[in-house]
Amino acid sequence: MATLTVGRIAMKIAGREAGKYCTVLTAPKDNFVQVTGPKVLTGVKRRRCNIEHLEPTKYKIDIKKEDSDNVVMKALEKEGLVKKLGLKKPSPEIVKEAEKSKKSKKTKKKDEKEEPKKKKVKKEAKKKSSKTKKKTAKKKK
Amino acid sequence: MVRRSLRSRSLKRSQKKVPGGRTVTHYRRKKPSKAKCAKCGKPLQGVPRKRPSDLKKLSKTERRPERPYGGNLCSECMREVFRKKVRED
Repeated sequence: MATLTVGRIAMKIAGREAGKYCTVLTAPKDNFVQVTGPKVLTGVKRRRCNIEHLEPTKYKIDIKKEDSDNVVMKALEKEGLVKKLGLKKPSPEIVKEAEKSKKSKKTKKKDEKEEPKKKKVKKEAKKKSSKTKKKTAKKKK
Repeated sequence: MVRRSLRSRSLKRSQKKVPGGRTVTHYRRKKPSKAKCAKCGKPLQGVPRKRPSDLKKLSKTERRPERPYGGNLCSECMREVFRKKVRED
């Protein structure tokens, strides 16, 4: 029977990603392996996964330990597994967008940290303005 | 005589003792049976026991587990299905 080794194609059989194919990136350690679809191809995110949630197939691709998604994708195409597994090759635009979103996420996190400070300042400014308004209203009375 | 709409036998009745000392019948809709796995018959988890009209008010993610065959097969039977699929290839 097929075993879970680096480059083995497996199917996820638990959770929301059940029924989707993925590629094993590391040897099992404490019942866990690193796994990737790649996400643009099969929908499986690059993540840690319990061995019991994977069912190995007879297919294998030639990759090194923890290779990037692009390398895995090319290896899959080279073996002709994209067609064999009935997958649809994503258009280059989608791949580009996925890469962009990754980068933007990193930058967004930085922005979020900066933003709340600004908001606080604004709130204080609002409070002040409301107080001044009340004062002016009283004066009018 | 009770209201005509309350004479239906699809309503569940219960006898309640009122503070005034009378006993009164209370009417309410019956609860539907628990959702079961189509393969093994085990009761499904994560599927609320509500009438179709109440289910409609819930969001889709509240109605069934978010995985393939969610709300139809239990998780173990779903795993069996995919294992078989891989082994047959």
